[in-house]
Amino acid sequence: MNNEKNIYGITALFKSPDEIISAAGKVADAGYKNFDVNTPYPVHGMDKAMKLKPSRLGFVTLVFGLSGAALALIFMYWTMSVDYPMVIGGKPFFALPAFIPVTFEVTVLLATVMTVVLMLALFFRLPDNKHPLHDTNYMKLVSKDHYGVVIESSDVQFDESKVKELLKSLNPVNTEVVYYPIAEKYPIFQPKFLMFLFITVLVVSGGTYFLLNKLMYMTPFDWMMEQDKLTPQKTSELFSDRFGMRKPVEGSVARGFIPYPFMGVDNPKEVLMNPFIPTKENIELGSKKYLTFCSPCHGDYGDGDSRLKGQFPNPPTLHSTRGREFSDGMIYHIITNGQNIMPGYSSQISRDERWAIVNYIRVLQRAKNASDSDLELAKKETGGNGTN
Amino acid sequence: MAQIDFKFEKKELPAGLSKLGYTLLAIGVVLGAIAFFVDHSRALFNYLVSFMMVLSIGLGCLFLIALEYVAGADWSTPFRRIPEFFAGLLPVLLILVVPLLIGNHTLFHWTHTEAVADDKILAGKAPYLNFTFFLIRTFVFLGIWILFYFGFIKNSQKQDDSKDQKLTTKNIRLGAIFIPVFALSITFAAVDWLMSLEPHWFSTIFGVYYFSGTVIAALAAVTLAVVLLKERGFFDPWITNDHLYSLGALMFAFVNFWAYIAFSQYLLIWYADLPEETFWFLTRWEGAWAVFSILLIIIHFIVPYAVLLSQPAKMDPKKLKFIAIWLLFAHLFDLFWLVMPNMELLKSGYVFSWIDLVFPIAATGLVILVFNFTAKKANHIPIGDPKLKRGIGFHL
Amino acid sequence: MHIDYSKEVPAIAGRLSLSEIEELVAIPMETKPDKKFYIALSISGTALLIGAIALALSFYYGTGLWGNNQPVAWAFPIVNFVFWVGIGHAGTLISAILFLLRQKWRTGIARFAEAMTIFAVMCAGIFPVIHTGRPWLAGYLLPYPNQHALWVNFTSPLIWDVFAVSTYLTVSFVFWYVGLIPDFATLRDRTTSSLKKYIYSIFSLGWRHSNRHWQHYEKAYMLLAGFATPLVLSVHTIVSFDFAVSIMPGWHTTIFPPYFVAGAIFSGFAMVVTVLVVVRKIFDLQNIITMDHLEKMNKVILATGMMVGYAYAMEFFIAWYSGVQAEQFVFINRAIGPYAWAYWIMVSCNVIFPQLFWFRKLRRSIPVMMVVVILVNVGMWFERFVITVTSLSRDYLPSSWAYYTPTLYDAGILLGSFGLFFTLVILFTKSLPVVSISEVKAVADGAQPAHRGGQSHE
Repeated sequence: MNNEKNIYGITALFKSPDEIISAAGKVADAGYKNFDVNTPYPVHGMDKAMKLKPSRLGFVTLVFGLSGAALALIFMYWTMSVDYPMVIGGKPFFALPAFIPVTFEVTVLLATVMTVVLMLALFFRLPDNKHPLHDTNYMKLVSKDHYGVVIESSDVQFDESKVKELLKSLNPVNTEVVYYPIAEKYPIFQPKFLMFLFITVLVVSGGTYFLLNKLMYMTPFDWMMEQDKLTPQKTSELFSDRFGMRKPVEGSVARGFIPYPFMGVDNPKEVLMNPFIPTKENIELGSKKYLTFCSPCHGDYGDGDSRLKGQFPNPPTLHSTRGREFSDGMIYHIITNGQNIMPGYSSQISRDERWAIVNYIRVLQRAKNASDSDLELAKKETGGNGTN
Repeated sequence: MAQIDFKFEKKELPAGLSKLGYTLLAIGVVLGAIAFFVDHSRALFNYLVSFMMVLSIGLGCLFLIALEYVAGADWSTPFRRIPEFFAGLLPVLLILVVPLLIGNHTLFHWTHTEAVADDKILAGKAPYLNFTFFLIRTFVFLGIWILFYFGFIKNSQKQDDSKDQKLTTKNIRLGAIFIPVFALSITFAAVDWLMSLEPHWFSTIFGVYYFSGTVIAALAAVTLAVVLLKERGFFDPWITNDHLYSLGALMFAFVNFWAYIAFSQYLLIWYADLPEETFWFLTRWEGAWAVFSILLIIIHFIVPYAVLLSQPAKMDPKKLKFIAIWLLFAHLFDLFWLVMPNMELLKSGYVFSWIDLVFPIAATGLVILVFNFTAKKANHIPIGDPKLKRGIGFHL
Repeated sequence: MHIDYSKEVPAIAGRLSLSEIEELVAIPMETKPDKKFYIALSISGTALLIGAIALALSFYYGTGLWGNNQPVAWAFPIVNFVFWVGIGHAGTLISAILFLLRQKWRTGIARFAEAMTIFAVMCAGIFPVIHTGRPWLAGYLLPYPNQHALWVNFTSPLIWDVFAVSTYLTVSFVFWYVGLIPDFATLRDRTTSSLKKYIYSIFSLGWRHSNRHWQHYEKAYMLLAGFATPLVLSVHTIVSFDFAVSIMPGWHTTIFPPYFVAGAIFSGFAMVVTVLVVVRKIFDLQNIITMDHLEKMNKVILATGMMVGYAYAMEFFIAWYSGVQAEQFVFINRAIGPYAWAYWIMVSCNVIFPQLFWFRKLRRSIPVMMVVVILVNVGMWFERFVITVTSLSRDYLPSSWAYYTPTLYDAGILLGSFGLFFTLVILFTKSLPVVSISEVKAVADGAQPAHRGGQSHE
């Protein structure tokens, strides 16, 4: 049913491109602004005839293209140079030449997709299947092989009879008055559409849930979850003791580890020989390590007078006859293996450092029990009476 | 198609053009001679740069002519004489190549036979990189190009009077044969005169790289000449901004193509990080060469891309004039960047010398003079070409 | 015979009117399929089925069913991937690049070529998806939210491939769809079936051929073409980077990017000619897809074939010139080693047979054309095979050398990809307009005004 009072516009159809060009020009010259031309394909020179301003679509492309480039570079910078930088192929974290391909692709992707999307949605306001021109005889003929012009009633100068006159003067094949269709309820609130939305939501969420929470645990997708390989704590049918986890073979030595042959022996008959000459560096090293590890119990100068004196574990002095009579190797053994209540320090002090401590202890012992010749030497060197 | 009345009137090029050419050439030759005395090596290397520039323009224009025939393009027919005039540089190269051949010992390390004998890799290349074969190749390439040049020109000029369409067919056939021959000859010319300056280095894409710069230089020269002549009424009203648009679009396309080839070459060598390949680029990062390398990207890609991106810019005669001159300079800059770091003195960084400015002046003068000379001998529009009417009526 | 160069060859022949063009193109969509259609579909469907079975078994038993192993860890899957991506490039080239070069003759073939691009890229996309053997876990390849700061390696050419091919698929699809919008509108306005009208209305988005829309549409088309051109070059360039960024002899060479692109256009055009020769006969489109169009495409095939030949020559020369022994060996090995049979198939199909196209008579002969272009496709598949397999089977360490043999499952999946491609093409011919109705109308005789409305741009 046509609403008699609600005219959308008046159309005129032509059969050749030359006619439509001149028709368009005349309508534009007559001062109409809200008019349009419909052709089955773009006709050359129509834009000029209609006095259209050039399309600004290029700006959309430029803006989104540059944004795409920036986005890609920033994202790659953040992931590869800030969040988890890794040295890959010996290249710097921000490997610009390697980032170019992805940057280029994202630029093109964003530029093209947004150009088309915005062109359709913003410039054309499509999709729109309820436009008054739809399903008219005019549109059917234009789609095939006619060219048409329509002057819309929304134009300021629109006057039904004047427009009809102008169009008739252009010698069209026919003219037609087009009306607005009856206003319809917004389809978005129709029950069919709502049901469609609801079912879509159900299907998509249910499908996703099933896919990720259920399907991945069903055969055959779960096959890789049950693997024949041995994991910790699993039993093994291969070994007679059914242990999956195996100890290293007897006599295995960890890498970088030299075995100490007297480990666990309390009073060893044999000990190692000190391979280090007590040089200045060696003694300084020994002093450092002694102060770190030994002095908390044995005191800064080996007197056993640390804070723990008299309390548990009541450390002994190192200047006892027994201590002085120990060989270098014996002291080394005590540091390595421990003695009585003293623990072994082999896991905290390296072998070389232990020897350095031994050398330093020897220095302390000699200083505490210095001979006269030692004092003479010290007086000579320090220029004092040996008290500094 | 618009009805255009085509009445051809032969016009003379302005007299000032040959004066300008002689002046520039004279300055260039005098300064160049001094340069040879002052710093023989530097002069030779710079001479090579300008030689390859002149080759680019001459050979590139010959390629454009062949391409027009083979592709059946009509928009370029009205001004096809312009590349024909520039291609007249090719016979001149026979003389211009002589200083390079005389100075081969300075330029090419592989001519030092004692050094080559000690170097296993260079000794392996000796069957190709030896002066005799090099000499033969040089004259074979030049000979082929000159033969094709005369072939094209003869048919094209004969057609002005006879209007015989068979001459177009002849040139199309000539063009179809020329293009593969051109591809191989320009590649090996680039290998010989540019890549072998550093005989340890190699790149399969090098020929394509020189080709991409060559086409840009040729298009720029043609565009500049067309715009300048159009301004002085040589092509009015037959060549419109629509024709210029096509030239602008082609320059834009080849700027992109050059950047693509340059980037591909760089990325692959950078990525694999093989010392036998990377050292060539590392030399171009030493000292002030790093500035040159960055400038190359800006001058040869970023600026022309930004200027030529929009559709109106591609058809604007003023912008096209500017960008044509800019691109000619860019190609020269590219060749400079290719050649000069091979000079022993400059390997650790670029140091300025006035000699670097001399030979381009001479080259410019020479190109103007040759253009002037060849233009006198023929009509500036191919009036007998069957595609001419279509070409004049060309619209976007 | 004498060509008159002063006359412009019309883009379509037969002086068809606008409605005649529309009828010719729309008829296949409005008539029921005939016996030939079903025969063709059953052949391609069988191939597709074989591929599906081979694929299902590969998922069930694992990729051990394929021939891939050390040292040839890359074999059929990547060769097929590169092959199909290459075929896709012709479509974009015809659509976008020929558009930018203002070659009107592209209008009859652009729609079909674009469709072929999309189908070919879909076939190509199968291989990265299946090659892990567990495609249902493919989501883990994307940067999903995780607590170990795990990101994809953006410096890897395999990731560049992901971005390039998905961008290519998206942009090709968008380009194709934008071209289809006016045609959907035309179909909507001529159909009598209400179901079809409903479908066409949705897909045409309500297009009403308004010139205010055509103005932006043309601009968008030009922008899309302007982007699609470097895109298509970048896609096969990035595919070539898969090989060229490595240090494998025979792979690491700077000419790979333009060489691969030229090869892609070469094989793509060959496939386009293969399909169009058949389509124009079956659907009576000889006036829209003319012999001139086929001849032009054959010229492109000749030109790109010679570019490929140039690349072969350069690789060979520089391999010698470089003095790198491993590189020199690769090329000798290709010619006389265990895969010499593949190498010589490649050289004869890519370099020798296309030379027949120097002769006009042969360029315009349907039987010669068909043989040459099919051989070109064979040759280009073998080129990817030769590049991949010869370099891997014999690289730096002779003790690791081994001969690769594909299995029946490899071949089955390859056959299946052809089946998928041709099935999609056959279905396409009956469901969508194979020729762009609006574009062809625009270049028909008398379609444009004789006097340009206004002067040229001055």
